[in-house]
Amino acid sequence: MAPSSATHVLLSPAELSYLHSSLALSPPVRPDGRSSTQFRPLVAESDILPGANGSARVCFPDGTEAIVGVKAEVEKSRWRPSEEHGVHLGTGGGDLEMDNDDEGERVSGKAAGKGLGENSWAEMSIEIPGFRDDDALPVFLAAMLTEALLACGDLKDRLYINRGFHWKLYMDILLLSQPLSYPLPLLSLTTHLALLSARLPKLKSELDEDPLFDDDWDASAYLYPRDSAGKRLDRPPVTLLVMAVGDNIIFDPTTEELAVAEAVLAVSVGDSTSSPKAPSAPSNLRLLSIRTIDPPSRLTPPGVANSMNTATGGNAPASSQDAVAQREGMEQQGVWNPPRGGMRRGLIGKMIKTVVEKGGVAEEVLDGLAAVES
Amino acid sequence: INLPGGILRKRTAVDELNIRTFFTEGDLLVAEVQSIFQDGSASLHTRSLKYGKLRNGCFMSVSGTGGGGGVVRARRHVFTVTTAHGGGEVDVVLGVNGYIWIAKHVEPETKGKDVSITRIEESVSSSIYSSQNDEIGTETRREIARIGGCIGALVDNGVRVDEDMVMRAYEASLDVEAEAGAGGSDEYLGGERGRRVVEM
Repeated sequence: MAPSSATHVLLSPAELSYLHSSLALSPPVRPDGRSSTQFRPLVAESDILPGANGSARVCFPDGTEAIVGVKAEVEKSRWRPSEEHGVHLGTGGGDLEMDNDDEGERVSGKAAGKGLGENSWAEMSIEIPGFRDDDALPVFLAAMLTEALLACGDLKDRLYINRGFHWKLYMDILLLSQPLSYPLPLLSLTTHLALLSARLPKLKSELDEDPLFDDDWDASAYLYPRDSAGKRLDRPPVTLLVMAVGDNIIFDPTTEELAVAEAVLAVSVGDSTSSPKAPSAPSNLRLLSIRTIDPPSRLTPPGVANSMNTATGGNAPASSQDAVAQREGMEQQGVWNPPRGGMRRGLIGKMIKTVVEKGGVAEEVLDGLAAVES
Repeated sequence: INLPGGILRKRTAVDELNIRTFFTEGDLLVAEVQSIFQDGSASLHTRSLKYGKLRNGCFMSVSGTGGGGGVVRARRHVFTVTTAHGGGEVDVVLGVNGYIWIAKHVEPETKGKDVSITRIEESVSSSIYSSQNDEIGTETRREIARIGGCIGALVDNGVRVDEDMVMRAYEASLDVEAEAGAGGSDEYLGGERGRRVVEM
């Protein structure tokens, strides 16, 4: 079941029709005058919780606010038999089979811990006021954000400590305000910022000993490390809401705009893992996942045309079947009809391209977020 | 007509089934609050022809926060702005509850004719209970968006919202846009630009 924008649409048919026709123009005229790729300004701060490994808070201008705390705990790993068991022991043991080391590296392809991470090492919990933990909305949001996070880069591999222990990452996402709008982009941005600021204490022990860490927090390493110039090598993913009306693709939709959308996608993008990043590469970003979201417009009742409205001199249909039949034949300007049918493939392709291309929207968003200093 | 519910969005009146021919759930209308009952329901009157269903425009809701801002009681809550860039005339309805309606102005059919009180039914146009929008041009839509942005900027910066301030904010926003020069569709009046508009 696809997730849906849970808030009910409280707009009259005349308003829906006005909004829809405004957004279907080219270029679209949005109710607040923004361009189709313009985002609303937001307030963001990171590293605000001293007790957490990483944290962030983001406020959107429509009044919604979210806070995310990232905590890491050392956990004992389950013992797993692996195919490269023999080789694995070799590289772990140290002075045994030194001549096999190079081969071992090639076969299992690891520099410490590569490929050994597990999906269960990252756990996300989302709290939205007014919803229980097992309601559909928090569960779907958690699933979408987790899948994007685990698909991107080698986060889980960085959580590996040694064969017996690993870091378990707990991300607690709290929506502080009421869900006035679909919370996905807000929560995703806040999680992104929290992960960017997250640090893990430096490991002092060697290899497979019980882990011992440096007490000096200044020596800790960022979960998403930076190179010597301070530029981040890798970034957590971000999920954006993209909607379409007619041929127009609109970003950062408000609740009213979502209410008249014909198609809504939640697109997750992350940094591409291929290196080196050539400046002439088509894009530095990778598409991680796309989820369709049921637009609330489909649940709205259709508007009544003047010809069917007794108050304006028309004839009201005798039964609801007649009403439907009359509406089918009618293509009236100014009357709201909830959208029907699916999304065209060309449209989906266009939406993805606008997000992922070089100089596209996702790059702008990620660069903007990177500029938020703790 | 007594309608339960204290906000402008209509709820079903259980007894008055005939009302469904005029209004259905989810319609937006402007009305005068006659009285408020103790249980919170209000009695709304749409006596005059200037009240009734709203169409051809866009709704916004602003709250009275920001210290001294919000919609204040004034002499005129419904006024018309003659807009630039060929946008025509735009009606603005400011509700003291913070609900604002900005729409294209539609000339009533009786303009130019004398209407006497006893013949008021004749002047009722057939379209006052219509849910169907008329044709609205792109420039008009842009100006509606601009006025919405002005009002939002006024509220965000704690300035009171009434006819005078809205008109001044609108003119200031035209000046700001003229200064900025290029960037035709960059009409967003939130944040920085909104503040500049308000300072003027």
